[in-house]
Amino acid sequence: MSLNYIIAMLLFTLGIYCLLFKRNIVKMVIGLQVLTNGLHLFLISLGYREGGIAPILAGEMLGRGATAEFAAAAVDPVPQALVLTSIVINVCTMALALSLAIYIYRHYGTLNPFQIRRLRG
Amino acid sequence: MAGMTVIVRTISRLLFPFLFLFGAYIVVHGQLTPGGGFQGGVVLAAAVILLLLAYGIEGAQAKVNALQAELAESLGGLILVWMGLMGTIVGIAFFQNVLPFGSLGHVLSAGSLPVFNFGVGIKVAAGLLTIFYAILRIQGEEEK
Amino acid sequence: MIAHAPILAIVVPLFAAFLTPVVSIVAKRFGVERARDWFVVGAAILMLLIVASMVPAVWRGEVLVYKLGGWSPPWGINLAVDGLNLLVALIIASVVSLIAIYSVVYMERDNGLEKYYTLLMLVTAGCMGVTLTGDVFNLFVFFEIMSISSYALVAFRRNWDSVEAGIKYMIIGSLGTSFILLSIALMYGLVGSLNIADLAGKIATIKATQPLPMIVPLMLTLFVVGFGIKIAMVPLHAWLPDAYQAAPSAISALLSGATATVGVYAMLRVSYMLFGALAIGTMFIILGLVTMVVGGLMALVQRDLKRLLAYSSISQMGYILLGVGFGTAMGIQGGLFHLLNNAIYKVLLFMCAGAIVYRVGTSNLDELGGLGKNMPITATLFVVGALAISGVPPLNGFASKWTIYVAGMEAGQPICTAIAVVMSALTLAYFLKAINLMFLGQRPEHLREVKEAPPLMLFPMLMLAAFCVVFGILPGLGIDLVRPAQSAVMNQLGYIGSVMGAG
Repeated sequence: MSLNYIIAMLLFTLGIYCLLFKRNIVKMVIGLQVLTNGLHLFLISLGYREGGIAPILAGEMLGRGATAEFAAAAVDPVPQALVLTSIVINVCTMALALSLAIYIYRHYGTLNPFQIRRLRG
Repeated sequence: MAGMTVIVRTISRLLFPFLFLFGAYIVVHGQLTPGGGFQGGVVLAAAVILLLLAYGIEGAQAKVNALQAELAESLGGLILVWMGLMGTIVGIAFFQNVLPFGSLGHVLSAGSLPVFNFGVGIKVAAGLLTIFYAILRIQGEEEK
Repeated sequence: MIAHAPILAIVVPLFAAFLTPVVSIVAKRFGVERARDWFVVGAAILMLLIVASMVPAVWRGEVLVYKLGGWSPPWGINLAVDGLNLLVALIIASVVSLIAIYSVVYMERDNGLEKYYTLLMLVTAGCMGVTLTGDVFNLFVFFEIMSISSYALVAFRRNWDSVEAGIKYMIIGSLGTSFILLSIALMYGLVGSLNIADLAGKIATIKATQPLPMIVPLMLTLFVVGFGIKIAMVPLHAWLPDAYQAAPSAISALLSGATATVGVYAMLRVSYMLFGALAIGTMFIILGLVTMVVGGLMALVQRDLKRLLAYSSISQMGYILLGVGFGTAMGIQGGLFHLLNNAIYKVLLFMCAGAIVYRVGTSNLDELGGLGKNMPITATLFVVGALAISGVPPLNGFASKWTIYVAGMEAGQPICTAIAVVMSALTLAYFLKAINLMFLGQRPEHLREVKEAPPLMLFPMLMLAAFCVVFGILPGLGIDLVRPAQSAVMNQLGYIGSVMGAG
């Protein structure tokens, strides 16, 4: 189980490295995506319960009134909802970042952020 | 932006209604299965974007053009906020349930949730489509 | 109080944001394009009235708790309005209303305006959401809404400088918000709740009964870094000068008046309420001093008016952190009063800069000169703002800075007070230099026909200058405004009790 956490932190570090040290805006955006994927993996793993079932109240649980044992066996659905919200926010950020990257490519002909620094001081 | 070959165009034209139906299924069964507004909206947008890639911008704009997408986006957002306000008018708090609950496991159940899913689905689909149209407009201006 | 006021304050700008494209299309069909601008102004003023209606109840001392969907805390998301929230909400509502009125004239030469107004309303909805919520993940979501809309607004003019500034702001800002998400994830894993009041109670229990797990200072650090990027604490301030210089002046005013205030509020709420840590005041004092000094020194060498104002914004944030870091009642009052005053005179200064850019076309100090004869009202208002920000009596900056100085002496930190006084003098120095370069002296030939700013732009500037003077002459009024906020900051147990008890 802790393998999930280790991989999540690895993705997070990799994403930060990509964001800070790559010289291409599209690669920086990909780094941001890897970073958030690591975070989402971390969040979902927090809700895990050994031998748990999916938190969907359907099928054989219907009509048996067994909500108490369902609640004891299901994994935590709150982190899943948090991750869904975060994915939606991420889509918006990526759309904006990529549109700006297209504009920069159109105006400067390059995607290297260190070559487009006209604002200084 | 030019389209693709005849094979791609035919298959996409045949697949489009099924993709659309699948997206609508995900949206409508949001309270019973994993899915709901956002996921279904993305599949709906992907269906139209498939047409866009296969036929070029003109073919896609014949089905859903940019103005309709913008209006649909506002409509989706307004449905969502309106259902929330219904909670304040009829119930006690914002986003409270105002529709009857129905029975567990049926499609028409869970109070206001299907309406929320519907609003979110329309908004997400229209929003993603607007993003694609906007980016393609940038590309189109660059090529001219 | 209007029924459902807390949620309506968030819903009204959101509703307006969704309706603006429709209103814009309809207005263009009928030929009255300005109807869209006035619709947004109306929505902003309606929001101000809703927020103002919550004032009597909250200033009596009660915490307004609004349960979304009828679910009681800690299982549901709730909005909790106490003194601190309400002060920040009032600041944001007033600033946005004035900026909306200002934008009607300032932005009229740009195209794509329906997107501008939609984004403006979205930033407002995001700011209100951060301010009024009582749930930490809800705070994150609205913080992201506010941030993403402000990235788009900074890059609005789509020329070289704006897009570069927008990308830089976006990359650094996204890094900051991902730190906040990591901290929320750690908090959920440790405690199992997302409600601010519930978290505060449970973390207090953890701190009291066991030795502190290493996670808790890590969470606090991640939060401070994440929010520090938004308020441009040194060394996280790299995005701010470019963003404020390249954005339209109305947006620079919005960023410095509304989003920076919201960032400070979020930092205060998380560090004082959630972690109950008045002991991290030392860190705030050190960060505040560094921010103040770096901002002030960098502002001395600037040749562009908006960049100079940007660095002086950074410097003023240092004062606020310094005041709040002292931890005493007077320190927190001083810090919050300075937050209020900073919003007032910073927005005024950026609006004056915008008036000059609107009439002349440049904000480069080397190309301006002698405009005092052409734009007398703008010049006077700029001088009022400059004297206020430098802490010259009898304007409002002096009142709040004096409170911070006295708080510093009382808390036994005379060195901090000395540095703050020196930086105030430095602020006066570079503003006098800017005034000299812009309004006095020789007027170049090509500026002879420059006219005064239009009256609709002058109206919000006059109102802000009036507030400067009023809060300066009657500082007691300002302190009365701020006292409920200060007692709310120091009253963590009352907040927890009110929110959990309403369930």
